[in-house]
Amino acid sequence: MADTHRPLLLEIEDRAEADPASATAYPEAFADGLPQGRAMQGAARLATRRASLLGRMAFWVFGSLFTLILTVSATNFVTALFASNTALGWAAFVLLLLALGLTLIAAGRELAAYARMARIDRLRAAAITARATADPAAARAVLAQLASLYASSPATAWGRARLTERAPEIFDADALLSLAEAELMAPLDAAALTEIEAAARQVATVTALVPLALADVATALYANLKLIRRLSEIYAGRSGSLGSLRLLRRVFAALLAAGAMALADDLIGSVAGGGILAKLSRRFGEGVVNGALTARVGLAAMEQCRPLPFVALPKPGTSATTSRALAGLFGRAAEQP
Amino acid sequence: MVISALTDGITRSLEGAGAALSGSFFEPSLRLGVTGLSRAGKTVFITGLVANLLNRGRMTQLQAAGRIEAVYLQPQPDLTLPRFDYESHLAALTGDDPRWPQSTRAISELRLSFRTRPSGLFAAFKGPQTLHLDIVDYPGEWLLDLALLDKSYADWSEATLTRIAKRPEAADFMATARAEDGALRLDEARARALAASFTAYLTAARANGWSDCTPGRFLLPGDLAGSPVLTFAPLPKPASTPRACLWREMQRRFDAYKSRVVQPFFRDHFARIDRQVVLVDVLGAIHQGPAATEDLRRTMAEVLAAFRPGRNGWLTALLGGKRVERILFAATKADHLHHSQHPALTAIMDAMLIEAKTRADFAGARTAAMSLAALRCTVEETLPRDGISLDAVRGRLLQTGKQAVMYPGQLPQDPARLLAPAREGAARWLDADYALMAFAPARIRLKPGDGPPHIRLDRAAEFLFGDRL
Repeated sequence: MADTHRPLLLEIEDRAEADPASATAYPEAFADGLPQGRAMQGAARLATRRASLLGRMAFWVFGSLFTLILTVSATNFVTALFASNTALGWAAFVLLLLALGLTLIAAGRELAAYARMARIDRLRAAAITARATADPAAARAVLAQLASLYASSPATAWGRARLTERAPEIFDADALLSLAEAELMAPLDAAALTEIEAAARQVATVTALVPLALADVATALYANLKLIRRLSEIYAGRSGSLGSLRLLRRVFAALLAAGAMALADDLIGSVAGGGILAKLSRRFGEGVVNGALTARVGLAAMEQCRPLPFVALPKPGTSATTSRALAGLFGRAAEQP
Repeated sequence: MVISALTDGITRSLEGAGAALSGSFFEPSLRLGVTGLSRAGKTVFITGLVANLLNRGRMTQLQAAGRIEAVYLQPQPDLTLPRFDYESHLAALTGDDPRWPQSTRAISELRLSFRTRPSGLFAAFKGPQTLHLDIVDYPGEWLLDLALLDKSYADWSEATLTRIAKRPEAADFMATARAEDGALRLDEARARALAASFTAYLTAARANGWSDCTPGRFLLPGDLAGSPVLTFAPLPKPASTPRACLWREMQRRFDAYKSRVVQPFFRDHFARIDRQVVLVDVLGAIHQGPAATEDLRRTMAEVLAAFRPGRNGWLTALLGGKRVERILFAATKADHLHHSQHPALTAIMDAMLIEAKTRADFAGARTAAMSLAALRCTVEETLPRDGISLDAVRGRLLQTGKQAVMYPGQLPQDPARLLAPAREGAARWLDADYALMAFAPARIRLKPGDGPPHIRLDRAAEFLFGDRL
C-alpha cells in the first residue's frame, strides 16, 4: 500500500516543459473513460446502415438476376444462330461484343465524371479550409489544382494567364483564393447564369402554355436535369447521367430541407407585374413560379458544382436571375396573342 | 485629448467647417496620416503607394482597382507646403542605380485624385465620382514630440534623465548636467553648451538605434537652429528656483517649444486625419536587441496616445471634430523575411502596439495589422542547411552591393517570447539569435501598367481607403 502521508516531489528532466497554454483539458488517460454515448451512436449507425443494406441487397439481387437473364438469353440467341447459320451467328457475336464494349466505355465515362465531381467537392473543401486557416501553401495547392482542372478550357485561358502572372506576388491565402475566384470563376459563372436563365424561361413557358396535366412535370424534370448536366459540364468539364441525377437529388433534398421549394409566394413578385399576372391568369402565375423555382434549383446546383465558394464575387440572387430570365417573356408575350 | 485641445481656435474651426461642408457635398477628400518614427519607411511607403496607384497592375487586392478610371497627381491644397517630391524618390528607387531615398528633412504634401465609376444600387444614375487623397510626409523625428505635449518640463527632465543615465552615449551630457546648478542665474553660453551636449547625445543615440530621441527638432532644426526655443536641455530640479534662474529659463523655453513648434505642426497636419497608417520597423528593433525593442514599444505607445480614434458621424465631420476612423498597424520591411514568417512578425507588432490598438477598437475605429513592404527588394529562396531547408530571401546587400541570401532567424510564434524579456530589460535575447542585413532596392524591369513590386501594399490600400472609392 502506498504511503499517502509523506509529501512527494519528483524532478523530471527528460520530459518537455509543461505548457499550460496548449494543454488539453484532461490528461490523455482520462479521455477514453469519458462517457460518449458510444452504444447509442453505434445503434444509430447500425440502424441507418441496415436500411440501406436491405435496399442495396435487393438492388444487387434484382440486378444480378436481370443481368443473368440478359446474358443467358443473349448467349442462347447467339448459339442458336450459330447452329442454324454460321454467318448470321458471327454477325450476332460481333454485334454483341460491340454492345458490350460500348457499355463498358459508357460505364467508364460515368465513373470518370463521378470522380471529377468528387474532385470538385474535395477542391471546394480544401479551398474553404485554406481560407479559414489562412494557409498560403494550401491556397497555392488549390490554385494549382484549379489550373490543371481548367487547363484545356478556352474560356478561362485569360484568367489562367493572369493567375500565373499575379499569384507569385501574393502571400495571403484569402487574397490568392479571391484572385482565383475573380479570374477563373467569373467567365464560368456568366456561362452558368445564361444556362440557368434559359432553363427557367423554358420551364416557365412550357408550364404556362402546355395544357397537358403531366407534361409540365415531365418538362420541368427534364429541363432541370439538363440544366444540372450543363452546369457540371461548365464547372467540371464533364458530366455523366448518373452523376447529374445524384446531384439533382442532392440539390432537391437540400432545398426541401430548407423549405425553399415551398416558399414560392415571395417569388411571384420578383417579375415585374408578376403578382398582377398571377391574379389575371392562374396558369401564367404557375409559369412564373415554376420558372423562379427552376432558377432557385439552378443557383443551388451552381453552388454545388462550383469548385470555390462565393466569396469575392457576389452570389447571384434568385429574384434578379428570375426577372432577367423572364423579362419580356410575359410582359409582351402575354399581351400579343 | 491633446488633439482636441489643439483644434480650438474659432477661425480655424470656421475655416474647417467651410471646407468640410464643401467636401462632404461636392468632392470628398480623405486625409491619410502616415505615422512612423524615422527610418520606419514613410517616404518609401508613400512613393510605393502613389506609384502603384498610378499604375494599378499589381493592386489585385484593391477591390475598386477595376473601377478606377484615372488617378491624377494634383498640386496640393496647402499653398505654403512644398510638394512631396514623388518623381525624384521614384527615380531613386527604380533607376539604374537604385537606392533608398534620402531621409526626409522637411515636411511635404501630396494630393492624389481618383476618378472612379460608381458602384452599388444607384450606379446607373450617378456620374463618375471623385475622391482626393491627401498624404503628408514629414521627418519621423518630429513625431516624437507628440509625446511631449502633455508633459511638464519637470516631468520630462526627470523621465529623460533617469532613462538615459545608463546609456554610454549620454555619459558626457550626464556629467555636464550634473555639474550644472539650475538655481544659478541664466548664462546664455552655458545654456548653449548644455543644449549642444544634449544634441550630441541625441544624435549618437539615434545612430545607435534608440527611438526616444526627444525633442525631435534638436536633430532636424531647419530654420530654427540656434534660436532660444531650441536651446534647452533636461536638468534636475534644484531645491529652490529663484526668478530668472537657469532651470526656470529652461522651463520657459521648453513650454515655448511645445506651444510654438510642436502644437502648430500637429494642429496643421495631424488634427484632421481620417485614416492612419502606423509604420513600425519591428524587424530592425528585434535585430538591435531587447532594449531597442522595449524602447520602440514605449515610444510608439506614447506617440499613439495623442491621436483620437473613433467613428465619424456626418454631423461630427461637418462640425470639425474629426476622428481617426481606421488605423492600420504595419510592420514594414516584410521583404527581409520569407513569407512563412510574416504571421509571426505581424503577431509581434500586434502585441507590441496592443495598447493603442485596443483603445482604438474600444473607441469604435477599425484597426488591422499586417506585414508589408512598400518596395519589395528581395526574392524568396529555400536554402538547405544541415539537412533541413531554411526559408530565406535573396537580394542585393546595402553595404556591399553584392547578392546575398539571408535567413535572419526564426521569429517565435508567441510574441511574449520577445516582448517579455524586452520589458524586463534583458541585455540580449535568451535562446534566439537574429541577424538582419539591410537590402538595397533591386534593379527592376517593369512592364507597362505595373507599379513597382510590393508586398501587401494593395491590401493596405484596400483597408485604408478602399471603402471610399
